[in-house]
Amino acid sequence: MLKSVFYFVIFPGFLFTAVVGLLVSWIDRKVTARVQWRVGPPWWQNFADFVKLLGKETIIPQGTSRFHFITPPLLSISAITLVSTLLWVMLINPHKSFLGDLIVVVYLLMMPAMAVVMGGAASGNPLASMGASREMKLVLGYELPFVLALIVPIIKTDTIRLGEMIRFQAEDGVVIGSWSGIIAFLVAIVCMQAKLTLVPFDIPEAETEIMSGPYIEYSGPALAMFKLTRAMMLFVLPVFLVLVFWGGFGQGSFWSVLLGILKYVVLLVVIVLIRNTNPRLRIDQAMRFFWGLVTGVATLAIILALIGA
Amino acid sequence: MDLMLYPIVLPIAVGLLCLAMPRRVKGIVERTALIVSITIFGLTVFLFSQKPLHWMWDANRFLRLDNLSGFVLLAVGLFGFLIVLYSIVFMRDKIYSNIYYAYLLCTIGIASGIVLANDLVLLAVFWGLSGLTLYLMIGIAGAGASAAAKKALVIVGGADSLMILGIAIVWFLMGSFTIDRISLPVVGLLPVIAFLCLAIAAFAKVGAMPFHSWIPETAEKSSIAVTAFLPASLDKLLGIYLLARITMDLFIMDKTLGLLLMIVGSLTIVAAVMMALVQNDLKRLLGYLVVAGAGYMVLGLGTGTPAGIAGGLFYLLNSAIWTACLFLSAGAVEDRANTTDLERLGGWGPVMPITFVVCLVSGLAISGIPPFNGFVSKWMIYQGLIELGRGGDGLWFVWLVAAMFGSALTLACIIRLIHATFLGQVARMPDEVRDANSEVSPSMWLPMIVLAGLCVVFGVFAYAVPLKHLIIPAVPGVSYLGFWSPGLATLLIVVGVLAGVVIYFVGRASNVKESEAFIGGELLREGMRVSGVDFYRTIRDFGLFGNAYKGAERSLFDIYDLGGRFLFYFVQGLRRIHSGILPTYLSWMLVGFTVLLFVFMG
Repeated sequence: MLKSVFYFVIFPGFLFTAVVGLLVSWIDRKVTARVQWRVGPPWWQNFADFVKLLGKETIIPQGTSRFHFITPPLLSISAITLVSTLLWVMLINPHKSFLGDLIVVVYLLMMPAMAVVMGGAASGNPLASMGASREMKLVLGYELPFVLALIVPIIKTDTIRLGEMIRFQAEDGVVIGSWSGIIAFLVAIVCMQAKLTLVPFDIPEAETEIMSGPYIEYSGPALAMFKLTRAMMLFVLPVFLVLVFWGGFGQGSFWSVLLGILKYVVLLVVIVLIRNTNPRLRIDQAMRFFWGLVTGVATLAIILALIGA
Repeated sequence: MDLMLYPIVLPIAVGLLCLAMPRRVKGIVERTALIVSITIFGLTVFLFSQKPLHWMWDANRFLRLDNLSGFVLLAVGLFGFLIVLYSIVFMRDKIYSNIYYAYLLCTIGIASGIVLANDLVLLAVFWGLSGLTLYLMIGIAGAGASAAAKKALVIVGGADSLMILGIAIVWFLMGSFTIDRISLPVVGLLPVIAFLCLAIAAFAKVGAMPFHSWIPETAEKSSIAVTAFLPASLDKLLGIYLLARITMDLFIMDKTLGLLLMIVGSLTIVAAVMMALVQNDLKRLLGYLVVAGAGYMVLGLGTGTPAGIAGGLFYLLNSAIWTACLFLSAGAVEDRANTTDLERLGGWGPVMPITFVVCLVSGLAISGIPPFNGFVSKWMIYQGLIELGRGGDGLWFVWLVAAMFGSALTLACIIRLIHATFLGQVARMPDEVRDANSEVSPSMWLPMIVLAGLCVVFGVFAYAVPLKHLIIPAVPGVSYLGFWSPGLATLLIVVGVLAGVVIYFVGRASNVKESEAFIGGELLREGMRVSGVDFYRTIRDFGLFGNAYKGAERSLFDIYDLGGRFLFYFVQGLRRIHSGILPTYLSWMLVGFTVLLFVFMG
């Protein structure tokens, strides 16, 4: 019990994920700045932002319940911490895997988005409601192809245990070693971009249009929680994809761990590149894109996987 | 008299007695109903602990209580009691309350009869009676509900006649009506027809597509207590009980019929939730979610794998819990706001905190969010589907994606419901309500809390409580389910939230200021709100979906309307013959007599 709490709070749970998450968001900010010919922030900028927000006062819109407004950020951060703990415990020791943990992780990954929607809805602000509605529609959009894409590794490795997926890929080659695997991986990357609500899918926030949408009324520690969740997701989601499609991070030797980190960095670079080279879509365009093209491609990947390609 | 007869005879007898009571003694009727329903609930608990039981009559086993009927009977008792408790306040100023309690008690007795019957004829009799009380209870809400009641009667009653046909075929083939003596392989034309007839009866009762259309109609037009009791919980229990009985006991299934069940299940899930997504009435929206829930159970039973069947049955129990809970909280909202139109609701969360939390818990449970019970039962169904894939079924991923995507869509519906009802911008709210703490009375929120509590307990302690004692004994072949322990994860999430609270306090969260909503410096005026109606307009406007929705609005997919149209078309021909001219009729009669004469004399 105490060990689980330690896993959850210190390593590989909250503290570890938060620190790494804030660091990788700095990489994201720095690269983006360089692309735009700016200098960019120093490496500790995200930590400074977080601490500063913690010290600010909390402003709550009139007529809303404090409880409903304050809890969603906490739920979202707990959920993402739990995902990270589960993933890393399994990456370090695949035997800890339990039946159907893949499904648990998929559901838990949906929680931060739900928290944003609930928080936005609780603000009682029309712009936040608008953002919440968009966020929910975006979730509907990407969840279908995301699940479809995850079916391919299930077919390939014939299991829904993450631990066995790691072991299978270590022995019989990674999922993206096949055509169907590559296609499904690409689909999953696009869905990941939307899960992170980064450009071109930053529709719910759309700063220039609805002023951060669901976050508009948030301030102080509550906002800090939401920001931290997003930083952590930037770390956790690519790790999840690496685990499921790309054979995990390897164990033991220094080189295999380094290779694992490299895999993560590749995904991070892809995310940053997409985000810096695309304009924002409208919500109907995004949904049409996900339910049309992306779902079609994901189905193709499944068909390929079923015939063994 | 044998103890097994009491849950059937007692409520029916008391119910009939209540019918004869004058309206003045309403208080007595209410109390009697409450006492009887508690007694029945206690009795079902006792019977459950004594199972297996049976009751002989004339060398035939007439009634039987085994593991499957045991937990369904228990649920019937529980829901009967909770609904009576809820109705005491909810129905307080309705003039028809005496008849309502009478019907309600009769329904409890009849439902117990269905669950306990071990004889197909007895089953069919109780089944028919339950259709009748369904009609009567829906129609109780007055003139608006009578069309819905008629629709329910036509669909459920029509399926009922098919059931009798199916039973007749079974008798023809096996020469017996006793359920535990029959085991019929579904091979050849007659057994297949018999199976389909019985399955359709179950489909109509639970509202699987295409027999669903009476449920949203009932939900919208009838009284919420009736909907929460009948289509949302009791009819689900009975219908799926029948389906489980026929797939597990009566017939020996083969793969093709399992496939049929899975097609019906998946279609029901996705289509019903897509419909729920765009409904503008709270009750109608929930009605479609009830239909979608039926899809999951049919899908689970259709897999034919032990995990899938156990998942389907667990889902049955859970869905009865959360849909009843959702309807009861909708009833609480209606009681205060006098409307269930999503456009006119909004901002009720801070005013009705208990109802809000209860609705949120059951809503998250129906969407399958861990750690609630919905997650566990859905997870078991997914597990069953994946096992099916291992067994060589090529289409398993289609069912899996339909189920998983369906649950994302359900979540979307619930979010919209929560936003439009409890959160978002406050709509027109009576002043006396806005100021006071306007929660409904304890006898209304108590059943809701019990049900929401069950959602949590059945989720967090899924294996230790419901699965071990209720579900797994009922499904042969489930020896061990490799299981996630939701308890630890729940604990960790709680730890996370507590840690967050600590951080809040470190970060001076106690230092809270209130201010007006900020919309970019503009003035926030009265009409500026995102109502529940616009939430998913984007989806409605999609080309393909747009046409499907328009079709659904013209009830192109409604078997009742389609049947009606077909019937009128058919009747048109007959109508033309009826010209109203006497000589024509007389000459027809003459022709008829001549024909008869030929037949009988020749």
